[in-house]
Amino acid sequence: MAERWDRARVLALAPDASSLRAAQPLASGRSWPLTGADDDSALWGECLGNAAAPYRTVVDVSGPAYRCSCPSRKFPCRHALALLLLWSDGAVEPHADPPAWAASWIAARAARNGGTQGPKPPADPAAALRRARQREARVSSGLTELDRWLRDQVRQGLAASQRSGYRHWDDIAARMVDAQAPGLAERLRALAAVPYSGSGWDGRLLEEYALLRLLATAGRDQAALPPPLRDTVRSRVGFTVRQADVLANATPVRDHWHVLARRDLDQDRIRTRRVWLRGQRTGRPALVLDDSLTVGTKTEADLAFYPAAVPLRALVATRYDTIGDGPPSGATVAALLAGYAAALGEDPWLDTWPAVLEATPARAPVPGLHDAAGDAVPLHPGAGDCWPLFALSGGHPLTVAGEWTPRGLWPLTAWDQGGMVVPL
Amino acid sequence: MNSWHDLVTASLIGTERSAVPAVGIPGLPPAADGTGDPAAVLLDRAALLTAARRAGRHPDRAEPLPVCEPDPRPAVSPAAGRRLARMLSGEYPDLLTEWLAAVAARGRQPPPQYLPALLERARRTGPADSGLARLVAEAGGPRARWLAGLNPDWEFAAVPALAGPDAWRLGTTAQRRRYLASLLASDPDAARDLIRGGWDAAGPAERVMFLSVLADGLSPADEPLLEAALGDRAEDVRSRAANLLASLPGSALGRRVAERALRCVRIEHGARGPCLLITPPDAGRNQPDRARLMLELVARTPLPTWADGFGLTAKQVVAVPSGDWAPLLFTGWSRAAVAQRDQAWTAALIGQALTGRPLRTAAETEALRQLARRADPALGAPGALPEPRPDAPPAISAARSVLRFRYDMLKELD
Repeated sequence: MAERWDRARVLALAPDASSLRAAQPLASGRSWPLTGADDDSALWGECLGNAAAPYRTVVDVSGPAYRCSCPSRKFPCRHALALLLLWSDGAVEPHADPPAWAASWIAARAARNGGTQGPKPPADPAAALRRARQREARVSSGLTELDRWLRDQVRQGLAASQRSGYRHWDDIAARMVDAQAPGLAERLRALAAVPYSGSGWDGRLLEEYALLRLLATAGRDQAALPPPLRDTVRSRVGFTVRQADVLANATPVRDHWHVLARRDLDQDRIRTRRVWLRGQRTGRPALVLDDSLTVGTKTEADLAFYPAAVPLRALVATRYDTIGDGPPSGATVAALLAGYAAALGEDPWLDTWPAVLEATPARAPVPGLHDAAGDAVPLHPGAGDCWPLFALSGGHPLTVAGEWTPRGLWPLTAWDQGGMVVPL
Repeated sequence: MNSWHDLVTASLIGTERSAVPAVGIPGLPPAADGTGDPAAVLLDRAALLTAARRAGRHPDRAEPLPVCEPDPRPAVSPAAGRRLARMLSGEYPDLLTEWLAAVAARGRQPPPQYLPALLERARRTGPADSGLARLVAEAGGPRARWLAGLNPDWEFAAVPALAGPDAWRLGTTAQRRRYLASLLASDPDAARDLIRGGWDAAGPAERVMFLSVLADGLSPADEPLLEAALGDRAEDVRSRAANLLASLPGSALGRRVAERALRCVRIEHGARGPCLLITPPDAGRNQPDRARLMLELVARTPLPTWADGFGLTAKQVVAVPSGDWAPLLFTGWSRAAVAQRDQAWTAALIGQALTGRPLRTAAETEALRQLARRADPALGAPGALPEPRPDAPPAISAARSVLRFRYDMLKELD
């Protein structure tokens, strides 16, 4: 069986506070007449509830992935959380053989994972090529339409945007979905909030429109771009690269990866968990969508980076060992801004950049962080007052990790003076 | 950055009615404009400036914060910090006061990152639970005062520490309470003089505070004051005084109540063992009132009355059958055990609930809930309590969970 998780790591999976509350009383042996764990990564159990039949829960901690017979639409549901808590307490029978209802799911998952290991040849290469050509054509006409729409906005003036309502952006976003450019659609949908984002909204809207036109223009002329920039443009438009291709083509980067920070984002009712890493030897930043890495730890791993002008998004190709913890080394504000500027030079659309600062919180003129040289950056207005960060510092310098954006730093993790990691 | 503002202004008006301002970036040649469409030119210039502004950003300046004075107290263990986070996220939040009191008493420092959540909780509950505010300020130490200096919402924690008689003369209720409690420990007579001297001028909240301080070191010398408080204008003061008198051995009120109680509850030793016979106090024709009066009487009766009167231990008394009156007796005894802080009875009642007849009424369930929160946490140690019957209702396992939680919680702090 995989290494047992600590309680905090299980609780971090809860989709909301009420699931947390519901799961904890369920995490007692009395509610679970049957539990078990195999020697691989699966847990299962039957939980007594109000229903006549017990709920049947299976968890694969390598994903993690869950299945439960309960009607809850929470994910993971309280039963899966409770089962994980029991396992975390060491109260799940190890080295067990799964009952038939769990075994079928575990086997199906194993088969699916095996399937994604090697690149699967397409069933009909000619049809696949035809579909790919069709998509390129659709995206290309979508980009032309978007460019026309953007120029129309600026021709008529943005002043009306505050009165237009979200439909204004949803309509053009829907047309980009039809044009099979989901990346553009997502960016456009997010714009509906900009007119209500406080003073300076007009400048922010113009920035976004300008960068979108730059993307549309670059997308239409992608043949003229150097390959890494072309990959960046294509991924921002919404072309995805298959994981298998990334693993097959990328040269793995082996390093001791410091797990800096984690941020959960809800997009279209789907929760994604961004995890920021930094290599100790290479100093490279990386972004993985992986639940199984614990913030504050250091893991030796091979990362396979998606191709891009500024490669950030990566897959964990091979994971070796978790090797201790302790704070990463923090940079100065000047170094952060210089690093971001250099990255922008490669990818002008980059608006989220990992930051690790050695800095002291400040409250005036706006909540922010300043380093020993007195250089300061503001906190992102959306991050609120961030009182836990202030409380942790007591006016002293801390190591803070977060996401640097054009609106300020979104703090996500801090290390106290004793080097203890504190997720914010 | 005037050119950026010019671009924004032009984009608001629209290129139909406004010219596209020229932009220049120092060190770069002017960009070649693309198509003749002024809207496209404006967007391209804006894209160039956006990248330049983001990449060319200069650091700001900020006013440094005052530095918090050091807190010499050692930090609580990581496990205790994790438990605090669990309580703040909704697991047994009503035990926060116990956790804070234990942290303060042991001279430990809570994890500072949770102080804002604690301060915020104390502010929201406000005067309804002034104990929480007092404990957050006390356990939070210098860091809580420092935070209160930054956020006016938390002013209640900002009061500078006053020492000695100044705390008594000038302090808030919380500071006066702390002074009085320490004086009661070192010089009980002086403390009682202070209370007697201040009683008439004190408001109801202050009189409740006096009684809650006295509760921690009750002595027969307190009886006259408590007797007088039985006639107080405030209901809370009257009922606290009555409960204190009930737990004061040999008090006149206690004796009066005990005599009445033993007239209403008698023990009979029959062929099938003892049983309790109940004759509730007379309430005229209003029968429901008789049960209420009976419950009040049991809840006010000094608990030693029963053991002494029947010649049995607390554990034996609670096990004696009493027919339909059993739920009422269980509830009354439980309230008495909580009010009189009687651990032997608390343990006996919890044991009875676990292994005896099933609890039937909501009042009993609530009584058990309270007992589990006041009992000696040692009862939560693994194996300290008998295993409940397999068909035990949720209230029983809930009580065991609370006790286990409290046991672990306090053990983590040692």
